[in-house]
Amino acid sequence: MARMKFLCDADRCIECNACVTACKNEHEVPWGINRRRVVTINDGKPGERSVSMACMHCTDAPCASVCPVNCFYTTADAVVLHSKDLCIGCGYCFYACPFGAPQYPKTGNFGSRGKMDKCTYCAGGPEADNTAAELDKYGRNRLAEGKLPLCAEMCSTKALLAGDGDIIASIYKERVAKRGYGSGAWGWKVAYKETIAI
Amino acid sequence: MSIKKSEAPDGAGQSRRNFLRAGLGGATVAAATAGVAIAPAKASENDAEKKKARYQETAHVKKFYQTNRY
Repeated sequence: MARMKFLCDADRCIECNACVTACKNEHEVPWGINRRRVVTINDGKPGERSVSMACMHCTDAPCASVCPVNCFYTTADAVVLHSKDLCIGCGYCFYACPFGAPQYPKTGNFGSRGKMDKCTYCAGGPEADNTAAELDKYGRNRLAEGKLPLCAEMCSTKALLAGDGDIIASIYKERVAKRGYGSGAWGWKVAYKETIAI
Repeated sequence: MSIKKSEAPDGAGQSRRNFLRAGLGGATVAAATAGVAIAPAKASENDAEKKKARYQETAHVKKFYQTNRY
């Protein structure tokens, strides 16, 4: 069984933010919510690196561990999804997530939070596949259409990889072997408890 | 004593209760059937459906892997 993973090749990311824009557009994500974002470290200094980050769909997801209403579930291909019908917007998952993935829409003027929103790996949610209800709540279900997450598919420098973890790891290994250096698979140790040995 | 007197069934009291019981029961059944008729088709997936693997290694996905190897 294929295990879905994200891998950002930080040596290729040019911080264009196209993945962020594509995600927002594809899923009709409301204002103030970014399911994906590009983080730049050492900005403007030698060794600057940009990494495109979103929910990494962790193996032992901390968000699911702390959820008081148990709204998270992991699919057979290891995509961590949640039910907005069950979510109470408590915010525990936001504090538990090592990647800052969970986002909350602002629903009032007094800091009240709405239902949590996060990257779905373009796999929708618990509503029936590719229905209007699913699109409205969770966005497009590209995985059910035989595609991969749009952020990775349209990355111009092919920095962001998505798909079967073994295949994208082999692609990354080939790149590192060819160019002679690599800054590692960001987030893999935290999310998947593994690193890519070259 | 007076209560006992009024409770003493002469047939009329009993039949009134039966009428109400039948009426309420009928109303409940009617509401239930109306509820079934009105309820929208369930859009949510069951537990097995929502956890099933959606990833397929289609030609589209294979092309993605191929272009990423360049």
